Amino acid sequence: MILNLRSESPTPKRSTVWLDGRLDAETYSQFDEAVRDVTPMVDNGGTLVLDLSGLEYISSAGLRSLAQLRKAMHDRDGRTLLLNPQPQVRKVFDIVKAVPVAEVFADIAELDQYLDLMQRQVTGRTDLQPTSE
Amino acid sequence: MRLHIRNRLHEVFDALDHAEDALDKAALNPSFRADIRLVLEELMVNTVRHGYPDGRDGSIAIKLDIRPPTVTVELRDDAMPFNPLGIETPELPGDLAQHDAVGGLGVHLARSIASDMHYSRDGDSNHVVIRFDQSLSEETPA
Repeated sequence: MILNLRSESPTPKRSTVWLDGRLDAETYSQFDEAVRDVTPMVDNGGTLVLDLSGLEYISSAGLRSLAQLRKAMHDRDGRTLLLNPQPQVRKVFDIVKAVPVAEVFADIAELDQYLDLMQRQVTGRTDLQPTSE
Repeated sequence: MRLHIRNRLHEVFDALDHAEDALDKAALNPSFRADIRLVLEELMVNTVRHGYPDGRDGSIAIKLDIRPPTVTVELRDDAMPFNPLGIETPELPGDLAQHDAVGGLGVHLARSIASDMHYSRDGDSNHVVIRFDQSLSEETPA
């Protein structure tokens, strides 16, 4: 198979989808279908994590699918975070400025830290200093 | 390597797999192979999707000339005239999800990644010659 997908929704606040293979004009509809099933499992305001560690290749068709998904999540006040994009994927993201850099994380620890900070901001706890930009 | 395909998406992907095998045998590095695959996917998918609005059967010829560290690809199709160098660079807002549909992304990617691209309209054919230079194909810094 050219694109393999796996998803996990441990809580209604967070789901993770793992992408493995290629996201291109041949496989994007398979991805669109899979995330159609996953996104309703994330509550409004929740987080969808796309783990890109195993995604070796993306083309403009895949970029469009990602953009649609991110927009759908955004419309539900949710967010989509991208984890560990590989060199080819990073390069394509860079060329078309596909995603805000703030939504891309090198590893799960960095991502968890970000979500933790978001949570603290929502709950009004200020014991963590905001990072300077 | 020469391939002839019809204007069908699955044949485009068969051709991409053949091309990638040939590049693999020539021991070109994976990021360079991916660059070439991407440019070919974008241009051929574009041709198949938009080049034959009347729905007629068409054909695409692909010629790969592999001379490491350079690869030259020629694409010839009988679709309606389309010069990939003639369209404007799309506006890139910094977040694709903020806009409904950004057109021309694929062609923009192809032009950005190819080391050199040349277009001519020869009679009833579009003829695109693309040169890839492995030394220009290093990863962009993160």
